[in-house]
Amino acid sequence: MKRRDFVKYAGGGIASLIVGSAMPSWISKNPLLATTTKQVDELNFTITDAVKEMATHNSINKAQCYFWFYKEKTFPAEVPGPHIFTTAGNTVKVTLTNSLDEPHAFYISGMVDSGPIRPGETKTIEFTPQTAGSYLYYDNLNAPVNRVMGLHGALVVMPSKAVSGHRFTPYSNPTPSVQQLFDDFGSTEHFPGLAWEQGDDATHTPAFRQYVWVLHEASSRLFEEVGKYTPGKDYPAAQFMKAFQYDRYRPDGLNKKPEFFTINGHSGWFAAHNPYITPNHRVGEPVVVRILNAGLSMHSLHIHANHVYRIGVNGVVQENPIWMDTLTVDPLEIYEWAVPYIRPPDVPNERGIGLPDNPLMSIPNPRIVGSTPHPVWPPTEELNIHMPDIGEKDGDYDLAVQLSPICYPMHDHSEASQSSQGGNYGLGMMSGIHFIGDRNTPGGVTTFPNAPTYHGPEKSGGAAGPEMGMDGSHTMTSNTTNTNARTQIINNPINTDPVKNEHQLHGN
Amino acid sequence: MSSSKPGYQIPRRSVKGHEASWVKSFNPPKASPPTPELLAPTNPVPAFVAANIPGASMLIPNTQRVDLMHGTDLKTWDGKKLEFFLIANPDVPEAAEGIFPGPTIRVPRGVVFHGQVKGHGQPPHTVHWHGIEPTAMNDGVGHCSMEIGDYAYQWQPNHIGSYFYHCHRNTLQHFEYGLYGFLIIEPPDAYDPKDGKNVGGYPRRTAANLTNFPKFPGFIGGSLESGDPHAMTVPYDVEALWVIDDIDSVWREQAQDAHQTFPEHGDQPGVNDDFHFNDSGKYNFFAFNDYNPDYFVVTGEYFPGRVGGTATMRSGVTVPAAYNSGVEGMQVSINAKINQTVLVRMLCAAYVKIKITFPVDVVVIACDGRSFGVPPFGKYNHPYTLKAGTPFEMSTAQRCDVLFRTEKPMNTFAQVEYRHHLSDAFLLNGRIPIIVK
Repeated sequence: MKRRDFVKYAGGGIASLIVGSAMPSWISKNPLLATTTKQVDELNFTITDAVKEMATHNSINKAQCYFWFYKEKTFPAEVPGPHIFTTAGNTVKVTLTNSLDEPHAFYISGMVDSGPIRPGETKTIEFTPQTAGSYLYYDNLNAPVNRVMGLHGALVVMPSKAVSGHRFTPYSNPTPSVQQLFDDFGSTEHFPGLAWEQGDDATHTPAFRQYVWVLHEASSRLFEEVGKYTPGKDYPAAQFMKAFQYDRYRPDGLNKKPEFFTINGHSGWFAAHNPYITPNHRVGEPVVVRILNAGLSMHSLHIHANHVYRIGVNGVVQENPIWMDTLTVDPLEIYEWAVPYIRPPDVPNERGIGLPDNPLMSIPNPRIVGSTPHPVWPPTEELNIHMPDIGEKDGDYDLAVQLSPICYPMHDHSEASQSSQGGNYGLGMMSGIHFIGDRNTPGGVTTFPNAPTYHGPEKSGGAAGPEMGMDGSHTMTSNTTNTNARTQIINNPINTDPVKNEHQLHGN
Repeated sequence: MSSSKPGYQIPRRSVKGHEASWVKSFNPPKASPPTPELLAPTNPVPAFVAANIPGASMLIPNTQRVDLMHGTDLKTWDGKKLEFFLIANPDVPEAAEGIFPGPTIRVPRGVVFHGQVKGHGQPPHTVHWHGIEPTAMNDGVGHCSMEIGDYAYQWQPNHIGSYFYHCHRNTLQHFEYGLYGFLIIEPPDAYDPKDGKNVGGYPRRTAANLTNFPKFPGFIGGSLESGDPHAMTVPYDVEALWVIDDIDSVWREQAQDAHQTFPEHGDQPGVNDDFHFNDSGKYNFFAFNDYNPDYFVVTGEYFPGRVGGTATMRSGVTVPAAYNSGVEGMQVSINAKINQTVLVRMLCAAYVKIKITFPVDVVVIACDGRSFGVPPFGKYNHPYTLKAGTPFEMSTAQRCDVLFRTEKPMNTFAQVEYRHHLSDAFLLNGRIPIIVK
């Protein structure tokens, strides 16, 4: 399998809308946004319902969940509603038709409130966001029922320009410390590479790299009950809250507490391998992530490989942006992260003070055939291990997988959300942070073997930059599957377990 | 419109073309691969422990050994027995069968660390060194590389501060069952005998920028680039370790039968995968999402109280040197003298959220192993004072380091309030004694 053919996801089910007459500079060269995005002058939403197949599934168990959602006219149905991007000062016009049986609304705290839209009614509203930031749009009626049933989505407002004499930040009025951070990206010894606003056509690197994570929890049994409630009557909010948060424990899991935990409506493998949720970038390509909790539970998001700066908290640009690896997100909270995308700092290097020093030189590993001293970063031996070996098949499929393509997870450490349908660890609220190369390697930009890109090579040409050979040399990328020599492993002298893909029958 | 006649059907995304990714994401391979980009380990701590802890040894030079054990029953404060998975250090007799939480691993900044990890029992394991950021294989997340029989994790800690390590296979269960321990990165010379008599005791130093907090004596400024091992560090006389955890006894007993927490892929991956393998008969636990703790514990010491109540930990609780990389005198409940600098390292290992309230003003110097105000990466932030009586919220896996120093004696408590992650319902007020004489 080629890990770079993410294009098959066709946006991975993440729809985005750009509102405004002119394509703004911050979007025009960003294929992450542009390929999944429609540019419109106004939004046309229908408030409707759907049954969605969730991540846990098979022919025995359909894992279906009922939702209400904002259906955009031209996109396929999806919960949550599309990401909406606009520029501060643009007027956003939204036409809403309520096709459900109770009154619904469109609301953004401090910005716009449609008021109740009766069943069958169509209403048009306009608003003009003045302050750049991340916002949750949702139905605030019968709170929190209508929002939690799925009527929510993200609005991203970008600044129209950078502060004079400075680099772009995601804000209209950044604090000095946040401005300094974005000024330093790409221009200092500790943040070599690109500024946030900088892209690089030669390596297919977009400018203004940014991601939106809308967090949510769903309870299939409770949501179905809401869907079957007397038409025209609101399901009592207190009853909803009580069932969602306090329903009595049952060992079979069949109570009304939430059992699906999603980011942008996706979870587990489906979110972590979605390039519109999980960033795929090189060292030296800083990223902004916007986190919005549309649900009713606290989450504790832990990102691996890089500490991130918490630059925005509920619309307040931070005076003291903490550098953290785990973020508390309570219901309705909104955060922005600046992910520096530095080389993972604890890769051994000369001074060991977190700066991108020369990597240490390895020693020959007698268990790896042909192992010779080489710099430990980029990790050539690690990138060339496949497990199981290439050629090992399951039916028609070659199961060989690059063991460690320098992909890391981001997951909720408040672990109840890491399950799906009460079991199935690894199918819950998670995404990732993937490193596809390094802009700061000697000789220029490096792209790791089999690195994923947002576009497949059939669309973008060779994956960004020269690929790295096993000996650390750089070779030009071709459009074919990488054929670098692979690390051979001598049987482990300590442990007799053969190196193979072992299917465990038991999970604990 | 209703759930029986919805306006739309939203199908699941296809995985066509990505079938092989299935293997790792669902049930990752168990392996004992060699460590790629191998270096010679230079961590001096295992040798120090072998020389100073009675009966201890060092089987592999300069290498920390971590054994992941299975199925040990431990008693809680009221005598109830619960099953734990424990972390052991086979080089140290007192920790050879495993302890809860696992041994505290201290490592000087800048050394090459090797952690030789071996899983015991039937399921494979990993160790994720939370907050340490090495290459992905050494990051110890099953779904991102492999799960192990055994493996030598390799990294070089670059930032002084508070971390922890835990098993990252089926983390939901393994972390809850006790497969975790604390991890402290110290200044480069913390285990250098030339540093004098305090290798195995106090005072010690940690990273901070206390330029604006002169009440803490001994702060050294400068820059990391200067090569001074004490640049941007402060000495502390007393160290307290609060690993704040919770346990759901019902969940834990039920989860022992949860033998189907991973989906299995079928012979046509992505087409006929079995998400509920063994979903019948006796193994029918499917309530991992419903977590309701009823036991509350800090660094292995229980708050003796029930949900809805207030409970006080006993005073004088310390961590033995055998569990603390040879350092004697680390505390849980605090006993200090006036004008001593007290460092409290906090980790939220609970799945619910906690709010900690101190009876004195404290200075928050670091979160998640990153010290505020230490350039270059910390130049965007700064330490700050948390006033006495102000709740400080922490969620699962966060760490926070605070300092305090008082001229007045006190006999009081810090309060740990547990609240449910989903409902925000009050669970327990735990009180940790703080005595300053």
